[in-house]
Amino acid sequence: MQQLQNENQEAELITDDIAETVSVPIVKRFFLEVSSLTIFTLRFFKEVFKPPYEFNELMKQSFLNGYKSFPLISITAFIMGLVLTIQSRPSLAKFGAESWLPAMVAVSIVREIGPTITALIFAGKVGSGIGAELASMNVTEQIDAMQVSGTNPFKYLVVTRVLSATLMLPLLVVLADVVGMVGSFVGVNLRGNVSGSLFLSQVFQSLDFKDLFPAVVKTFFFGFAIGLIGSYKGYNSNKGTEGVGKAANSAVVFGSLMVFLIDMVAVQITSLFQN
Amino acid sequence: MTASATSITAEHNKKQNALVVVEMEHLKKSFGNNHVLQDINLVLTKGENLVILGKSGTGKSVLIKCIVGLVDVDEGTLCIFGQNISELKDRELIVLRKKIGFLFQSGALYDSMTVRENLEFPLRRQLGSIPKEKMNSLVEEALQDVGLGEAIDMTPSELSGGMRKRLGLARTLILKPEIMLYDEPTTGLDPITSREISHLILEVQKKYNTSSIIITHDIECTKLIANRIIVMKDGTCAAEGSYADLANSTDAWIRSFFE
Repeated sequence: MQQLQNENQEAELITDDIAETVSVPIVKRFFLEVSSLTIFTLRFFKEVFKPPYEFNELMKQSFLNGYKSFPLISITAFIMGLVLTIQSRPSLAKFGAESWLPAMVAVSIVREIGPTITALIFAGKVGSGIGAELASMNVTEQIDAMQVSGTNPFKYLVVTRVLSATLMLPLLVVLADVVGMVGSFVGVNLRGNVSGSLFLSQVFQSLDFKDLFPAVVKTFFFGFAIGLIGSYKGYNSNKGTEGVGKAANSAVVFGSLMVFLIDMVAVQITSLFQN
Repeated sequence: MTASATSITAEHNKKQNALVVVEMEHLKKSFGNNHVLQDINLVLTKGENLVILGKSGTGKSVLIKCIVGLVDVDEGTLCIFGQNISELKDRELIVLRKKIGFLFQSGALYDSMTVRENLEFPLRRQLGSIPKEKMNSLVEEALQDVGLGEAIDMTPSELSGGMRKRLGLARTLILKPEIMLYDEPTTGLDPITSREISHLILEVQKKYNTSSIIITHDIECTKLIANRIIVMKDGTCAAEGSYADLANSTDAWIRSFFE
């Protein structure tokens, strides 16, 4: 562990030094950042299976990242379902296919819009929060204090946050899908009269296991990427108040970017199996 | 006293081997091309208050961070209670850290926790699950030691600078360390609070018989608490002696610290 930690510290030092030198090519900086993130990820996998397990902290983080994010995620999901329904109606009406509205919205939300929008909001709220919190702990020497008091700060702070993000995002996505459907139901009934049972029956007829399973599986990867990047940016931030802002900002930017990259790969893999 | 005198004192102290708690020989540490510590030789004996003076950037904080293993040493040996820390495994280092308290310059208090939780955190980490009554009595004792009994349910953001330092000290003392490392304990405090903190350091030394290394720029504090003083310059120990020795040094640069 000490060796990995030292390698990580050296990689961070190199990255920081080089990042401050404008003359170094951006490609080299990119590869140094990637190597540093890879070492950080390897350290996560090394620490995650090793006791002691920080179960209480994991529960606390899951409460903060999951339960506390639910109001924001539900409002967004409701609006998403409602707006998607209202916007799609005229197009479907042209072809006389208004009755397909619940099915179309359900497939769109479950397969793509639900996971992606929820992950982006999660990156904005939780990813930036993790980045800013760890960076400010770094600046105020709280991470050092933790180490001095006999705690492994990587295990206590990073492993628990990454795990909670990985486990909470899929739950939030499933809940967002449900709330999105409620929004869609309201949208359908703004200009029509569809009963709840008919709406549900149309939704479930259109959805298949092949729609739900890959969509949920990819959200574990979204959550992992958001938690990992937030923690990486915060844990390795520069010592200074400027570093806190930078860490929070880059946690959101790179977290969101990773969501799209993973989504692209996931769609390719899913389509391979579906074909 | 010059660098040669430093090694003489170090040799003298080494003879009292049973009392030596920290011993550094030819210690070196660099960050890239910045050679922060260059050939440091230092001995800390049991129950001693050793004050380290020096201009900013001479490696004082790095030196004490080496002692707790927050910074790895490049060259030389660093022994604590006779154990060379660069040869220790992670688990052994954690056990050794139980004997060392570190008061950070900023206090390094956990902002998301109350005063009570700040004190309970190191206890839980080091002692595992202990009965609630024992936990409460240890927390209350530590707070009484630093005169912060009434702030138990406050959060760090509600505390003044002096109270934050006291809480940092209480959090360190709660594990009853044998070695205390203070990184600028009075910086940023008014003269009265500084004096209170200095007296607190003395009380801690008397009550727990701790050996302490104190990094400071506060000469009043130095005069009050120092048994021995080391002046650092460019990553080396430039001079060593008592307050009176160094304040009356023939070297004008060393004297300038005490004027």
